[in-house]
Amino acid sequence: MILRLKNQDKDALSYLYDKYGAALFGAAQRIVQDEDVTAEVVQDIFLKIWNKIGMYDSKKGRLFTWMLNLTRNASIDKIRSKEIKRSAKTDSIDEYVYTIDRQNSTETSVDGIGVRELMDDLVEEQRFVLLKVYFEGFSHSEIADEYDIPLGTVKSRLRSALKHLRNKVQL
Amino acid sequence: MDIKEYIASGILEEYIFDTLSPQERIDVELRLAEYPELREELNAIEDSLEGIAMATAIQPPANLKANIMSALIDNVGGLKEESTQQKEEPKVIPMPQTNNGMWRYMVAASVTIALVTSYLAYDYHGKWKSSSDAFAQLQAQNTQMAEQYNQVNNRLDDLVADIDIISDTDFKRVNMGAVDPTQSFAASVYWNAKTDEAYLNIKQLKTLTEEQQYQLWAIVDGVPVDMGVFDFDVEGLMKMKDIQNASMFAVTIEPKGGSVNPTLDLMQVAGAV
Repeated sequence: MILRLKNQDKDALSYLYDKYGAALFGAAQRIVQDEDVTAEVVQDIFLKIWNKIGMYDSKKGRLFTWMLNLTRNASIDKIRSKEIKRSAKTDSIDEYVYTIDRQNSTETSVDGIGVRELMDDLVEEQRFVLLKVYFEGFSHSEIADEYDIPLGTVKSRLRSALKHLRNKVQL
Repeated sequence: MDIKEYIASGILEEYIFDTLSPQERIDVELRLAEYPELREELNAIEDSLEGIAMATAIQPPANLKANIMSALIDNVGGLKEESTQQKEEPKVIPMPQTNNGMWRYMVAASVTIALVTSYLAYDYHGKWKSSSDAFAQLQAQNTQMAEQYNQVNNRLDDLVADIDIISDTDFKRVNMGAVDPTQSFAASVYWNAKTDEAYLNIKQLKTLTEEQQYQLWAIVDGVPVDMGVFDFDVEGLMKMKDIQNASMFAVTIEPKGGSVNPTLDLMQVAGAV
């Protein structure tokens, strides 16, 4: 797949879109919160994948992880460039994510679980860190600084949260 | 190094989220190469991230893919130089491409069939509708012709009956001429003296109003005898009342329904037997 992408095989990109487009769109939309802007972001990401595939190193991680990071970074850049006040959002990020989830009738959770269900039984602190990092694009140290949580605690909470979800999505 | 503690620190997640400094990254990569357990854990974390993303996917707008693919084509020109060194590598011919072509062909075929079918359905609907209209029209015409045929047939029956009477030698034709010599009114009575039957035939009489009718009289032994009333527009032979020993016939204009005694002033035609 990567070889085909590096050879600029359009069918490979098309396949990639069919397989991961919705997943990346979901990830981007939770950060960007606006369908049109999300579409812009996702289009940019796929063009970036197409153009920058040479920079991807399979030894360092999976293609999807790379794409997901591109998506998260691009989405965060987008909302920062649009000067959306972060402080305005931090108060209610929980509601935001949930609202999106509720509003999106097109949610294509393969096995019928959305973000809400996924996170429902997380401990509050774990959920908070996961939302910040995964859906809002905070770095670990940003969270530590902004919310006065020791960096080590942020890391371990994120880890516990992911570990919990890992079991859940693999069911 | 305590691997469990290292994992528990959450540094692998940071590595995956790409939030480490370049030095930290290199450090993690060195350790990954050294400890297979770390690599395994890293895989597991990537699995869960992918799982979360898949489970929380949102269907993008339908046109997004087409936009991306067409943006690629615009972009390809600028990228040609960058990828020239890779041109040497033999291109892997992927099976899906053939499949893709096949699919495209099948989709094209389905769309074509759908279009053709829709057109035919529309066309046949139009044809059916016009046939149905034409059929209804024909049915109406048929009914009308049947009515006309019946009318003609009845009329013919009447005429045949009239001719039987006219050609019967037992019937005597009594012509009645206009009483007023300036008029050309005329009518006849066919009278069978053996059976007493009498028929009237109008040749020409003036048009009457709604309130008026003609009345036929026979003069028997010098006295007028009523033979019945008739309208001015009667066609063919009109059966009147039987009469015996008539010596003369006359027609007067009377109020509708007739009179007991003839209004002699309004006698129109008369003729002796």
